[in-house]
Amino acid sequence: MTRKAYASFALLIVGVIALAIFSIVYPSGSSQLNWQFAAAALTALLILAFFFQFESPSFGSKHVAIIALLATLSSALRIPFAPLPNFQPCTFLIICSGYVFGPVPGFMIGAMTAVVSNFFLGQGPWTVYQMLAWGIIGCASSFLSSLNPGRGPLAVFGILCGFLFGFLMNIYVWLYFSHPLTLRTLLVVETASFWFDLSHASANAIFLYLFGPRLVTILERYRKRFGWVRSSGMSSRPAS
Amino acid sequence: MLDYKYQDRDTVIHRLTPWSKLGWIASLVLLAVIFDHPVYLFLLFLSTIPVIAAARLTREWASLMKYCLFLCLAVVLINAIISQNGSHELVKAPFSIPLMGNLRITLEGIVCGVGNSLRLAAIISAFSVLILAIHPDDLMQGLIKMKLPYKSLLVASVSARFLPALLEDSRNIVAVQRSRGLEFSSGSKVQRTRNYMAIFIPLLSNSLERASQLAEVLESRGFGSKRRTFYKELKLTGSEIVVLISALLPGIFGIIIYSQGFGSYDYYPALEGIGFMGMEAICLIFLLFLATLVVFTALVKRRTEID
Repeated sequence: MTRKAYASFALLIVGVIALAIFSIVYPSGSSQLNWQFAAAALTALLILAFFFQFESPSFGSKHVAIIALLATLSSALRIPFAPLPNFQPCTFLIICSGYVFGPVPGFMIGAMTAVVSNFFLGQGPWTVYQMLAWGIIGCASSFLSSLNPGRGPLAVFGILCGFLFGFLMNIYVWLYFSHPLTLRTLLVVETASFWFDLSHASANAIFLYLFGPRLVTILERYRKRFGWVRSSGMSSRPAS
Repeated sequence: MLDYKYQDRDTVIHRLTPWSKLGWIASLVLLAVIFDHPVYLFLLFLSTIPVIAAARLTREWASLMKYCLFLCLAVVLINAIISQNGSHELVKAPFSIPLMGNLRITLEGIVCGVGNSLRLAAIISAFSVLILAIHPDDLMQGLIKMKLPYKSLLVASVSARFLPALLEDSRNIVAVQRSRGLEFSSGSKVQRTRNYMAIFIPLLSNSLERASQLAEVLESRGFGSKRRTFYKELKLTGSEIVVLISALLPGIFGIIIYSQGFGSYDYYPALEGIGFMGMEAICLIFLLFLATLVVFTALVKRRTEID
């Protein structure tokens, strides 16, 4: 990891621990705290850690080009396809690209999807949380490459990702739009969005089951053609 | 939906450097997040309008706000259902729902929803300046010079630039596949999803071909070498610094009055009164003045440049 990535990650952990101690020691003070702001700052730190990691010299022009174009494609997929609410193929593309290209590129593609598509759909405080949610999905998908799963497990992974995305976005809705921030209101928000999350999860599952292996093969072929070595993802050694 | 991109106009706001505009947006968004008082939030929302008007973006802004209105209605609705702590009950459901008990809709819940919608409207309105009035290249250069991670910004700006081209590609591919006899509007859901892939796969290989061209271009221009140069260099001149300070002033003043205890508001258990006495009213008017100050300083800056 690069030094700046370490620094922002360390700052994130210190922030989380400090907030936890503060709210346990002063329960009355914690209800006065601006949690929207605190949560956004911590989320931004996590995203920055990945961005600084991406700054390492092991990522060169071809990595930038592929990540940029895949992020463009997945933001384009977010816009027009809507027979059902939340039925988007963009998570499917993010999962497959994380699978093929590794953790940091996966995160970048996911996070950039949120930024770029929101330039056209409207930026707001939700952008940070969408960046985090899709970024984490892209990053997590990179672990699939060591498992080499078939259609069925891929579809199950898609369902998990759909609900993970819903869970993280519900935290944003909860923080901003429900007033007493208690466990009960969180549960209400989480259950209220169940059908939307299910739609997202089933879209992921269907796309991954039907076309997952095919898309992975195509991306894998391009990865080899670009001479992109996957293991260079986490080391800070310059690629030859 | 796709009209929300940079609009090239020759106005005082467009002529500012991205830093001044970003500073103003950051101030307003920060204030919209820290204040809870609905009147403060409403005034913040109002104070974005002169800037939008000075940038001659009212038409685009109005269509964005129409979309925002739906969002706000949803927020009010969700909040009225979720928050059960109010004391002035308007409606009570006769049946009980697991986790929530008997559903009550209270005056406080609705007003709190309205307050949150005002906050959302203020934030979206401030961000619309970012989308509509800052050229993507200027935005990228401005952020790079603020020492933000450069490759990530490049990825974002390249993506934003390629998106319209990609949508154009997808229209072409749809036309080609239609001419080959593929149906997109009939058939079962599974069949339609399969047909959809007939657009997606060519689009994917198209964009990866573009990626390889882009990589060559980047490589040939010395991407990743030590110092980065720009086609059009942005500079922070003396008058620009004045504008930047005037853009940051509302944020600073807002934080000061927030630390004095102004701008907080409790919706629950019962609504507080919203009468303003002496000092707070003066501060509020001054805040409104500061938030729109950037328009005047931008006008003055333009004037000094002409002379």
